[in-house]
Amino acid sequence: MEVFNQLIYDFAVWVDAHQWSTALHESFYVYNWIESTHVVALTLSIGMLFLIDLRMLGLAMVDIPASTLARRLSLPMFLGFTVMIITGLLLFYAIPVRSAQSLWLRIKLVLLFAAAINAWLFHRRMSAAGHSWDTAMKAPMRLQVGASISITFWVLIVICGRLIAYDWFDCRAEPSSFIAALAGCVAGQEAF
Amino acid sequence: MGTYTRTISVGTVIVFGLIFALTDARHTTWQALLPLFEWMETTPPGVISQTYGAAFALVEAAHLIAMAVLGGAVLVADGRLLGLILRDVPLSRVLDQSHRLFVWSLAAMILTGVFMACGVALKVYYLNVFWYKMLALGTGVFFVFFVRRPLLRGDVEKVNPQLLRLVGIASLMIWFSVAATGRWIGFSG
Repeated sequence: MEVFNQLIYDFAVWVDAHQWSTALHESFYVYNWIESTHVVALTLSIGMLFLIDLRMLGLAMVDIPASTLARRLSLPMFLGFTVMIITGLLLFYAIPVRSAQSLWLRIKLVLLFAAAINAWLFHRRMSAAGHSWDTAMKAPMRLQVGASISITFWVLIVICGRLIAYDWFDCRAEPSSFIAALAGCVAGQEAF
Repeated sequence: MGTYTRTISVGTVIVFGLIFALTDARHTTWQALLPLFEWMETTPPGVISQTYGAAFALVEAAHLIAMAVLGGAVLVADGRLLGLILRDVPLSRVLDQSHRLFVWSLAAMILTGVFMACGVALKVYYLNVFWYKMLALGTGVFFVFFVRRPLLRGDVEKVNPQLLRLVGIASLMIWFSVAATGRWIGFSG
């Protein structure tokens, strides 16, 4: 774990040394516009994803065939996710060391990975289920479970994303050794 | 309410809004609202927000999630009005279904928004961008319930397609302004 954290720290310090990273961080308007775009893209990506998930659970858009809704909303959803990933990477690039040592960002990345696996499984199950239930109020139970897990993951991802802004577990706040290891604090590191 | 009565009512509201914005009434109202904002900080949501940072952060996240759902509902409806998505689903069905979700998410957004505002009431009171957001939100709610919804409630397939596109573009612009000004509150003060 220590070696892993040291590697990430060294990488973040290397990124931080880039002139563009500092310029991005210190530009009030550019940095804030990137962050705003990241949040607004949330409405496109998670907004569409929640509509599909809520449809599967029979809680929204129930008069529209489920597979039609899922198929048609996939493109704007992926467009939103693409913008979110690009702006997310830029936000990391602007503040690399603190971001790399953010407990919340690390949890968020794990949750993103889990959400991606769930989305892949969900898509496979939906293809396997065919169109027999398309106009039914709710999707088959397995798909409902997948939709519930998806909503839970994304709610947690948004919470973690929001909590990154708070410095409760920052390395300079000297958290417990367990939290410090999870957050990736490195002994003798400089303050950023 | 007939078409002309509604048009006259909307026009009257816009005229009153302009008079309010361009005269001293705006400043007088702003000053009169100060006691309300001072009181907001003493209410239970205000005290909880100021005492427990985690509670404030969680409500912030809930506000974001509500915004995402509201954004989804707006984008689906406006995307359909512009003929960009769900073109094979009847327009009236998309509008009806998305409106329900819109109302629920709007309620959640306002509830969480008021909670957050109570925690930083005096800070936001002095922020111009907060009032821009309130103006954008008020315009958005007014537009949805008094312009868009009544206009598209009837036989929507008979409405001029250009007008439908215009309504879709106006709606997108208004709700983008709500989201952008809301985010900008965090960068101000």
